Amino acid sequence: MKQARILVVLLAFALVAAACGSSDDTTTTAAAAATTTTAAASEETTTTEPEAEMEIATDFGVDLENGTITVGLLSDLTGFFSFLVQGVVDGYQAYVDEINANGGINGLMIELEVFDTVYQADNTVLGFNELKDQVVAFGHSVGSPQTLGIREDLEAEGILAIPLTWYSGWTDPTFNSNLIHHGTPYCLEAMNILDFLTQEVGTGLTLALATFPGDYGLDSAAGVDIATEALGIEIVLDMRGQILPGEDMTPIGEAIADSGADIVYVAADPNFTFPGIYQSAIAKGMEAVWTGAYPTYSTGYLTGEFAEEIERDFYGFAYVSPWGGDSVGVKEVRDLMASRRPDLPPFDYYSEGVLEAKILEAGLRRAYDNGDMTRAGVLAAVKSFTELDFDGLAPPESYVGTPNEQVQRSGWMVRFSAEDLAAGGSGTIIVAEDWTGPTAAAYEFNEACYFLGS
Amino acid sequence: MRGRPLLYTSYEDEQALLPTWTKRIAVAVLLVFLVILIPFQLVPGFRFLGEGDWMTLLGLVAIFAIGALGLHILTGLGGQVSLGQAFFMGVGAYTAAALGGPSGKALLGLGLPMWVWLPAAGLVAAFVGVLVAPTAVRVRGIYLAIVTLGLVFVGQWLWINWVSLTGGSQSGRRFPNFEFRLWGEEGDPIVDLTADSVWFGVDVSGEVKTYLFLIVLLIVFAVVAKNIQRTRSGRAFMAIRDRDVAAEVMGVAEARNKALAFAISSFYAGVCGALWGSFIGLLIPESFSLFLSIQFLAILLIGGVGTVTGTLLGATFVTLLPRLVRDFTELLGDTAQGDGLFAGIADIFVSTGLDDFGLISTLPGTSPGFTVFQFNLILYGVLLIVFLVFEPLGLYGIWIRIKNYWRSWPFSY
Repeated sequence: MKQARILVVLLAFALVAAACGSSDDTTTTAAAAATTTTAAASEETTTTEPEAEMEIATDFGVDLENGTITVGLLSDLTGFFSFLVQGVVDGYQAYVDEINANGGINGLMIELEVFDTVYQADNTVLGFNELKDQVVAFGHSVGSPQTLGIREDLEAEGILAIPLTWYSGWTDPTFNSNLIHHGTPYCLEAMNILDFLTQEVGTGLTLALATFPGDYGLDSAAGVDIATEALGIEIVLDMRGQILPGEDMTPIGEAIADSGADIVYVAADPNFTFPGIYQSAIAKGMEAVWTGAYPTYSTGYLTGEFAEEIERDFYGFAYVSPWGGDSVGVKEVRDLMASRRPDLPPFDYYSEGVLEAKILEAGLRRAYDNGDMTRAGVLAAVKSFTELDFDGLAPPESYVGTPNEQVQRSGWMVRFSAEDLAAGGSGTIIVAEDWTGPTAAAYEFNEACYFLGS
Repeated sequence: MRGRPLLYTSYEDEQALLPTWTKRIAVAVLLVFLVILIPFQLVPGFRFLGEGDWMTLLGLVAIFAIGALGLHILTGLGGQVSLGQAFFMGVGAYTAAALGGPSGKALLGLGLPMWVWLPAAGLVAAFVGVLVAPTAVRVRGIYLAIVTLGLVFVGQWLWINWVSLTGGSQSGRRFPNFEFRLWGEEGDPIVDLTADSVWFGVDVSGEVKTYLFLIVLLIVFAVVAKNIQRTRSGRAFMAIRDRDVAAEVMGVAEARNKALAFAISSFYAGVCGALWGSFIGLLIPESFSLFLSIQFLAILLIGGVGTVTGTLLGATFVTLLPRLVRDFTELLGDTAQGDGLFAGIADIFVSTGLDDFGLISTLPGTSPGFTVFQFNLILYGVLLIVFLVFEPLGLYGIWIRIKNYWRSWPFSY
């Protein structure tokens, strides 16, 4: 079969060409998911040499001669939360470009190395191993269980990571030595939401709960436990840990509809699991308040099949200011995205990327001023902030003090609005600003609300 | 006799693992390459192979080759179609985690050293394989494939729900490190294969040490697998593969030999799973999915069913494929940026920006097209079909064709 032979030989040649092709890559990478290097744009920069008088200590990720700082991002670009994380990465990159355009960190330009973990813990470990010798810090790491998977490695290597998750363990000294918390954790979020709903909707309510397994879902569930007990809400359906991506969501949605609960609390993902649950529940005619961990919900629903119902039912709690807020900080985000990425539509998650980039920037600048831009130096710099202010973009963060003092408790209560989307907003409207419910305010936070074995 | 390599004058000569001088020299050169030249970067032009990421990749090749050799013994030699490789890998991996993992926390762990958990992983998997084997006596062919497929799903359910063993869905758990200890968990190990150190004045990185360990294990397992073919059990497996009823009539005990085939194959798979877990560091229960089983079948089919060489070739090819595809995509991306005919062709395949059309996207999430990860999956399926249709003997078959062509060159007509 001559054609067969030719075909096979061509394939073989292609593979040989591939192997020989980029063997002189300086950024060598291992198997698994794709890596993209995005060199930061620096149009009108004056490439200033860092001040020669100051001795800056460096180990990995900071190249004083070439004037670069390399930061790794362990992102989910093609997995469950890709729609949201892509927005975070866009905001991150835009803010970093802006820093670089204004002289960088004292002349050092920040470069982001993005690794796609597909929201999987084993890929996160692979990405960590691939990038650990190239970066000074991990600018974000997606997923609670995924970030917990690299926690010990981060400690062993002395690198910091800013988790792109709101697991309460990041404020617990048992888990957070190299992790930089930001935003209200899932369990306090649950308390805040249920406090608000009790005030808004009334007392004597019933609740149905369904979550992912792992620390993301079960932390939310722990918060629901605490809040329902304090507020006298009855849990009529408890499916915590039972939303398994890849399986059929119809039984879950139908069970929720059958329970007849007043409030439905879901911690899942907005792409693969939540739509199936919601659709099968409203197909049975359910009308209730739908809420849950914020990453479960997406303004993308407003252009989908159940736009009307989700607008009617959804109440959420945002950790950073939604796009339409009126603080100085979020206005800065709007201007930034308009100038750097005018092609992108309004979206709430750019604020999250800018917030993380701001925390990183603050840490890098302080580390430079301290003369220590080693990885340990940058970690110590970030952890030395008693109050990091963001001009209203997000509540101020503190990394000094007891967990009870550090933990974030306030945020924005939001709902979806097609009208806002049509008017050029992101589709999210704010119904309460700087909201902390009484249960959350009174809660004594000393350790993570949930961890394996608790 | 010189010049007549295929003339064997004694039974031992014919049955030798490396019967001809060509083979002996070739294997010796290959071993020198794999064990000395490549890890220590002594080959000009191929020095990049000794760097961390390629060492990691080649280590992964070794691990998957061990698992594939197990499947070769069961399917290639024994003719028992099995889709259950992922299940046995899971059994082995979680046995290793339970025995070798740190003790006393929320996850099951006894803190035992590697010389306990690695063999135990194989033995427990082999035991489970023996339990499964009687089904192979009752059903064969595609029906056995479906029964073993069921095993994978039973395994998935078990791993997802047994949270204290596996860490639960999405969270997963860490696996014990590659390190040699006598006993106990405190203090430094005698040899830590993951840390950089200095051997005889030569700097050796952790990746190289792990790679060498895995290559040595692979060599041992490959020799055993190759040797099985010429033992009584091996011949019994092949007889059962060819016509099991006739074999039984001839005196080959079907049930016992099928159980033995399952046991050996599951031992290999269990060890492979334990090594895989420790190598990557963390595995989630979803890792032991049907796709993993199919990967091993693909290794066998692409490499060439029924030969150890084919299995090794297939393992190398399938494991290196994602990396080759990624490098090729980058090459295409770079070519597309340039000028000329090749740039135009490359541009069709690759999309480099928001509005640029292309099959493969270089900026996942921002430009259209498949991600490299998705393209891998597609290419996988395409290659399987291509090999099954055009070259059933796989890569080994291609090698045989090349060899035969040159053997009679220039008179190959």
